[in-house]
Amino acid sequence: MTTKTLLLAALLAGISLPATVLAQEANPDASIRIGSLYEPQNLDNTAGAGQGINEAFNGNVYEALFQLTDAGAVEPKLVDSYEASEDGLTYTFKLKPGVTFHSGDPLTAADVKYSIERVTAEASKSSRKKSLSTITGIETPDDQTVVITLSARSISLPYNLSYVWIVNDAATDITATEDGTGPYTLGEWRRGSALALERNDAYWGDAPTNGEVIYTYFTDATALNNALLTNAVDIITSVQSPDSLAQFQGNSPYTVTEGASTTKEILAYNDRVAPFDNVKVRKALARATDKARLLNSIWGEYGTLIGSFVPPTDPWYVDLTSVDAYDVDSAKALLAEAGYPDGFEFTLDTPDYDPHPIVAQFLQSEYAKIGVKVNINIITANEWYTKVYQAHDFQATLQEHVNHRDIVFYGNPDFYWGYNNPEVVKLIADSESAATEAEQTEKLTEANKLIAEDAASNWLYLYPQIVVSATNVTGYPVNGLNSQFYAYDIQKSE
Amino acid sequence: MTTEIITAPQRQRRPLILWAGLILVGLHVFAGLLSLIWLPYDPTAMAGGRLEGPSLLHWVGTDRLGRDLFTQMMIGSRIALTVGLGAVAIGAVIGVTLGILSAFATRWLDDALAATLDILIAFPTLLIAMLVVAASDTANLWSAIIALGIALSAIVARLTRILAKRVLVMDYITAARTSGSSWPKIVAIHILPNIWPTLAVNFALQFGLAVIAEASLSYLGLGAPPPNASWGRILQEAQGTVYTAPLGAIAPGIALVSLAIGVNLLADGLRDFIDPTRRAR
Repeated sequence: MTTKTLLLAALLAGISLPATVLAQEANPDASIRIGSLYEPQNLDNTAGAGQGINEAFNGNVYEALFQLTDAGAVEPKLVDSYEASEDGLTYTFKLKPGVTFHSGDPLTAADVKYSIERVTAEASKSSRKKSLSTITGIETPDDQTVVITLSARSISLPYNLSYVWIVNDAATDITATEDGTGPYTLGEWRRGSALALERNDAYWGDAPTNGEVIYTYFTDATALNNALLTNAVDIITSVQSPDSLAQFQGNSPYTVTEGASTTKEILAYNDRVAPFDNVKVRKALARATDKARLLNSIWGEYGTLIGSFVPPTDPWYVDLTSVDAYDVDSAKALLAEAGYPDGFEFTLDTPDYDPHPIVAQFLQSEYAKIGVKVNINIITANEWYTKVYQAHDFQATLQEHVNHRDIVFYGNPDFYWGYNNPEVVKLIADSESAATEAEQTEKLTEANKLIAEDAASNWLYLYPQIVVSATNVTGYPVNGLNSQFYAYDIQKSE
Repeated sequence: MTTEIITAPQRQRRPLILWAGLILVGLHVFAGLLSLIWLPYDPTAMAGGRLEGPSLLHWVGTDRLGRDLFTQMMIGSRIALTVGLGAVAIGAVIGVTLGILSAFATRWLDDALAATLDILIAFPTLLIAMLVVAASDTANLWSAIIALGIALSAIVARLTRILAKRVLVMDYITAARTSGSSWPKIVAIHILPNIWPTLAVNFALQFGLAVIAEASLSYLGLGAPPPNASWGRILQEAQGTVYTAPLGAIAPGIALVSLAIGVNLLADGLRDFIDPTRRAR
């Protein structure tokens, strides 16, 4: 396929054939330019940096004890071997020998302890903090051994540890610099435009198949697409609209792949405040939303309706689209039962980037049919973080949630949306202490159903994950799990 | 004789420009006024399919949500005219007042005002407007109008000051002053009637600027929030679909350009019509 396209391109461009064949060999020092819409706010994933930092740094600059592969499996990374005690409360990890940080310091058990405590610390803003709360102690009997003791079984400890960057304990401030163990080191970071990663020649594992990776950030999808069309970038990590694909399909020298996404577009209510503390109101809004139509408006033929916060790639997925299915009449009836026969009015804090403003208008139009007035308040991503995520100062908001297995957020009553159902909190907590993965899956499936019945939020749709690249670039991840983007296997021929 | 030869074709050309301007602006005024009492569709109703092309049902097609674009364009005309008129009115009141004050003021106050105005003018209109909008809590149509009005007032003030100063040195002003006329009276009887033709033309040009600036603000997300269908916002929303449904971006572009050209032609024609120094004799 690739060869064919290249041959065709060569013929069209009138280039002689041998040159093309030579050019097809991957350049081991190639500079891979990745176009993205998600610029990190800072470089520390425990300091509210946003999803962009995962895309740029996970697996590239920082590594964890375990790694979530692009296919969704959890594999040992910095761990050589590990074992759990019979009661599941003590885990002993042996670290891989010979691993060094970018600063030259060797990886020791103390670094691992420091890194885990960074995530669980009081000041940490990591969205995964709560999932590590069962850790009661971290012992370091020797430099290569870490013993973690838990207050309760935690079946997904290896999975959760895949989120914990292992940072050199000598590093003081990593919001603007880094000291990880990954195959790349931080190059130049120009805030607002680009972040460069350079190949770490002292890397302990297999060397990357390219020389450097440059993430270039755009604030709108059209500019991003144009960057690929004008050869200013080689890959765009997630296509934001089906309409732009027309430019890349067919006659152009581009590869389009569709993978599994974990990105969910949701209307999150502040479940603490009236009227959204009333389950009937939330259910009414869910029933008043024609999600099939919305998905078609935004994504055309792409994307999936899931009816809950759980995408099909999570083990506890069930199709819940029939819960609170689209039904305007019953929505009106529910509103009346809830004490709002004439509807009500609320402010929808809408991030200023696509698709949120258009989704907001869709909801505004839908809810007008049941007498609910939506005031759209456009805010920036930074404002969203401080106003909504931190201060919980909102009535309702739109957001795309990118994480894999993130239904556990509904088990945290202090999360920004403030959903608090003791039964769900217990199920999610119990699922962690399950002895087997089957038991964990059963509990989370149950929780998922309860959350859907409570219409805790309004889960609009699941994004498709579409990556487009120039055909001379191969080896990139195709799935959007956790918005990670492992760059070390990318090859580029020139 | 020579004058006759030069002015004769001008006499024919000028009314043509005035008419062209009147027609273009008139169309927008008509669409804007009509939108108050009648629209083809409810502007928020998702009446059609996704990105439909032009048809008898939807004259310029639909947007991603299936909303009728022609309806939005009509509302866009209304918003553009409202912003243009509002901004020019605010700019005129502040600008003319400041300009006249400056013309009458003592030397140092005049210098200070003139310097301030020059600094303000040095900033692009859009930048000042963005600052004002960003400083207000929530973006809405009024914050955009006020922001643009303030931005435009500097230009009006400087023009008024220069024009008023030119009149102030005239003999009849001295005569009026010696005969005991008060300052307000001099302004009302002598200054304003003498400077208004030039100001009026300037207002028309400012109107065009304000319309474009509002579209720019909306394009940047700083204008009236959705669902106010400003042309700038329609353009912005159509940007992602410009390859599959180009009309969504072309239509608001044409509307914007036609109104901007319309008011410029109108201003041009108007100048020849009302400015005695340019009127063909």
